[in-house]
Amino acid sequence: MRRQLAALLPDARPTSEGEGALELASSRVDAPRLISATVLEGSGPLRARRVFQAAVAGFRGFLDGTQRSLVAGYLAGGAPIVVGRAAAVIRERRNRRMHTWGAPLVEMRLYAPHGLATPTEWDALRQIAGHQLVDISAREGEIDGEHPLALRDAAFHRVQAHREALEQRLAERWCSTEHDRLFIDGGISGSDTVAVSSCTVGVVKSHRTLYAEGVALQTILGLGRSERSSVFEVTSPRRTTVASWYLRLRDPMGRDPMWGLVRVEIARPDPAERHAIGDRADEVSRWILAEASPLALPDARWDKMVYGIRDCEEFLRAVTQ
Amino acid sequence: MSSILGRVVATERRPNTPHEFHFWTALDSPVGIGTIVRVDGRDAVNGTVPRVYGIVTEGFSWTDLASPLHDVMGFDGSPSAESLSQTDRAEIRLYTAAVLRHVPEEPLQPVPMGTVFLADELDVNIALRMDGYLKPGARTGIPIGVYRAGGTDAPIYLDADFLIGPEAAHLNISGVSGLATKTSAVEWLLQSIFTHFPAQKGSVAAVCFNVKGPDLCYLDQPGEIDDADRALYEKCAVAPVPFEDVQYFAPYKSDGVSLNTLRSNEALLDNVTALTWGLREVLQYAEVLLNKDDVDAKADALIDFIKENVLDKRFVDQMLERPHTVTSFADLDAWFKDVLRALEKKDDQSWRTHHVATIRKVRNRLSNISLRCKGLVADDGATSDLPFGSFQDRTVYVIDVAGLEEDAQDLIFARVVTKLREHLEKRDLGVQHVVVFVDELNKYAPGDGPETYVRKMLLDIAERGRYLGLVLFAAQQFRSQVHRRVVGNSGTALYGRMDGDELATPGYAVLSPAIKTKLATLEKGQLMVRHPHFTQPIFVRFPRPSVMRGRDGVSQYPAAQAPSLHAAVLRTLRTLDPSLTLGWLQDVTQLATDDEILRARNDVVRARPGDVRREFSKHFRAAVAPRTAVRPDAPSPLPAAPADDPYGF
Ligand SMILES: Nc1ncnc2c1ncn2[C@@H]1O[C@H](COP(=O)(O)OP(=O)(O)O)[C@@H](O)[C@H]1O
Ligand SMILES: [Mg+2]
Repeated sequence: MRRQLAALLPDARPTSEGEGALELASSRVDAPRLISATVLEGSGPLRARRVFQAAVAGFRGFLDGTQRSLVAGYLAGGAPIVVGRAAAVIRERRNRRMHTWGAPLVEMRLYAPHGLATPTEWDALRQIAGHQLVDISAREGEIDGEHPLALRDAAFHRVQAHREALEQRLAERWCSTEHDRLFIDGGISGSDTVAVSSCTVGVVKSHRTLYAEGVALQTILGLGRSERSSVFEVTSPRRTTVASWYLRLRDPMGRDPMWGLVRVEIARPDPAERHAIGDRADEVSRWILAEASPLALPDARWDKMVYGIRDCEEFLRAVTQ
Repeated sequence: MSSILGRVVATERRPNTPHEFHFWTALDSPVGIGTIVRVDGRDAVNGTVPRVYGIVTEGFSWTDLASPLHDVMGFDGSPSAESLSQTDRAEIRLYTAAVLRHVPEEPLQPVPMGTVFLADELDVNIALRMDGYLKPGARTGIPIGVYRAGGTDAPIYLDADFLIGPEAAHLNISGVSGLATKTSAVEWLLQSIFTHFPAQKGSVAAVCFNVKGPDLCYLDQPGEIDDADRALYEKCAVAPVPFEDVQYFAPYKSDGVSLNTLRSNEALLDNVTALTWGLREVLQYAEVLLNKDDVDAKADALIDFIKENVLDKRFVDQMLERPHTVTSFADLDAWFKDVLRALEKKDDQSWRTHHVATIRKVRNRLSNISLRCKGLVADDGATSDLPFGSFQDRTVYVIDVAGLEEDAQDLIFARVVTKLREHLEKRDLGVQHVVVFVDELNKYAPGDGPETYVRKMLLDIAERGRYLGLVLFAAQQFRSQVHRRVVGNSGTALYGRMDGDELATPGYAVLSPAIKTKLATLEKGQLMVRHPHFTQPIFVRFPRPSVMRGRDGVSQYPAAQAPSLHAAVLRTLRTLDPSLTLGWLQDVTQLATDDEILRARNDVVRARPGDVRREFSKHFRAAVAPRTAVRPDAPSPLPAAPADDPYGF
């Protein structure tokens, strides 16, 4: 890609080999937030509940995606050209071994600001990427948007959205053909189909946003191993509302308060089913607890990551490198 | 075509080379150490897609686990917690294979990426370059066993030109006693050679030294084999029958009466011949038995003098009491006594330049020999020997030396091999090729220790035998203990179950740890084969030899009780004239001493006269007229001999 760029855009400045992936830069993390949520389970406030029964295997599929974006060069005017690759796969467990379900999705796109490119440059990029060329020009009036770092952030978010789209595409495929449960890394609220399906479970590992305040927050951070919070509702303007709860996978003794803590998302129950949401949360929690072994080490997030998801990532690493 | 078994992989850390490559397989693939595989390259080179044949020499397996500790943590420290985990970790089987052959051979490149298949029989032939000597019309293949892997069952052939000569020769087999099946393997291979030795290469016989118990005593008797063995025989096209032509040789026991062999059962004796040598035969090989310190130049000179002037001649010296004709150890000792007595009388220190001390020493040593080799060395000079000059094609000559002292073994060994060599050089042995099988080679050609005649001789065969058709098949537990040049000149090497300490010696450093592990755990009937055409060692199976095992033979044909003198002599004479009776023998020998009877027997055996009765009787004083021997009215004591009796007079 770099070579193609150099050939077609002799004036463009190439990046030096090994310039870091955008994923590794840290300027784009969201600010930590606390949001209070409506408890769906029971009538009182959010509580800690022990998942009593033994962990039990409940998932057949595991879905995860990866992304990688790199600054491949700069336009003559100094704006970055970013190459972003997004991939997603479902790995299916058969007879205790992992296999790829259907075909994995791997797509590559080129990101550059149309407004800051000369017509020749834009044509050249179009030649390389065709329909996979994405304009990241700042919106009208956004002065900061022409800052090269802002452009990089914009590209990064587009790549992220691309990955989420691929993941959703696969999840929707699963929902339309399979009835067994699918473990999804991350939330499920991004896709209508997925968010209301009874066979998808989203498991969120990052807690930049915590759905509790005050005493409820203390309850969540104080969850012990195999304990979950009451089920609550997660709503967001552009997303489907889902039912959610916190679950502690591992003993946090001596670790940070979020050690082994995940947030689970499933479809929001019909009002008629709402009384049973606690049982449902227990059942799904037992499935998730069953995935705590084997460990996902050496992945640094192994306290929250299940082995099936690590397997997806390893698979994608193998097919995208 | 067989299904895909694996795929070649190479990484910067583990690259492929022209001689080694790596491939991965499914977890349930039938690949194992020693499996032969074929790689079909992905891309054509110079218009042909390269094919590479290899043999698996190492295997690796690992999971995505970065540290064993992670697994411990995953199980909460409890190994029995396994059932909790829902998923088995991703796991890989990676194999390393050593290249056997590239097709085409040029340009020689690193093994390409490609798909890996289990080699079938045809692939095995190509991989081991056996296609070169299995061509119809010019086949020189000798089956050594069957290669087995997956569904493949391929006979493995040695090239007779490289096993029996002239390109290379000799075979060496190592492995622990009782498990390595060394002796059995050689027996089987001899059967295979006798079946498959190509007609255009001429005749071949084997001379085997039985050095241990009853090992080789029943080669002509059927042995127990099972269906698996029969299948191997069939695959190798060898008939599962015992050797057809076997001749046994054994010296007498020290009593001179019965043969010193475990094959002494009445039922098996008709192809056992006595091995007896006279003074001449022994003196020629005196240096075999006299070690360096003994044979200084002076002693040597005296022995030479005796060989040239005393042996088999009428020796007259005024100083001596009487003339001597020395043909036996007894005669020689009488001669020595006479010489020493004469010196004493004259109070002289030397006789004909030989110092009295030298004379005493040589007499001592030589009489020692006759003592240590009693049974082999006939005091009367009689000789009964291997049929040098009339060796028969596809015949095994077994010399049983198991019951003999080391000196006697060495003597037999040295003389037989030297005679074989002389006759092969003159091309008048009777066969064009002889395989000499020596067990316990480390005893005869040790890597360290003093230079001995026997070791020099073995070195000589190892280095020059292939031009003569004199081929050494040798076995020993520990190859590392055998002289380097003897094993080094062995074109073919076999290895059965090996001892761990032996495998740790430098000679085995080229083998991968996995191959060593396989060698240390080989089953009976499995061998690793090195042969000049094979670029890597190959594993084969061979069947039990279809001959009776030693210990079965001993129980089925128990050794005869030591027979009386008369019974033993009668048995020997009856092989010449079955009509003889014990009554007759007792009559004839009524007044004779044991020694006289044995001497008469030896003479008769040597002369093989037409009329055994008369020839034998002639040795005894007819103090009491034998009832049947001579008609009382016969006027002449020397009746005309039968016309067909060359020895009659
Ligand atoms: N091909 C074979 N398959 C299985 N067992 C065998 C085979 N050949 C020999 N044996 C058995 O192995 C044992 C040892 O064999 P032997 O040849 O005496 O070993 P070594 O000479 O190494 O001491 C014998 O009892 C024999 O029956
Ligand atoms: Mg043996």
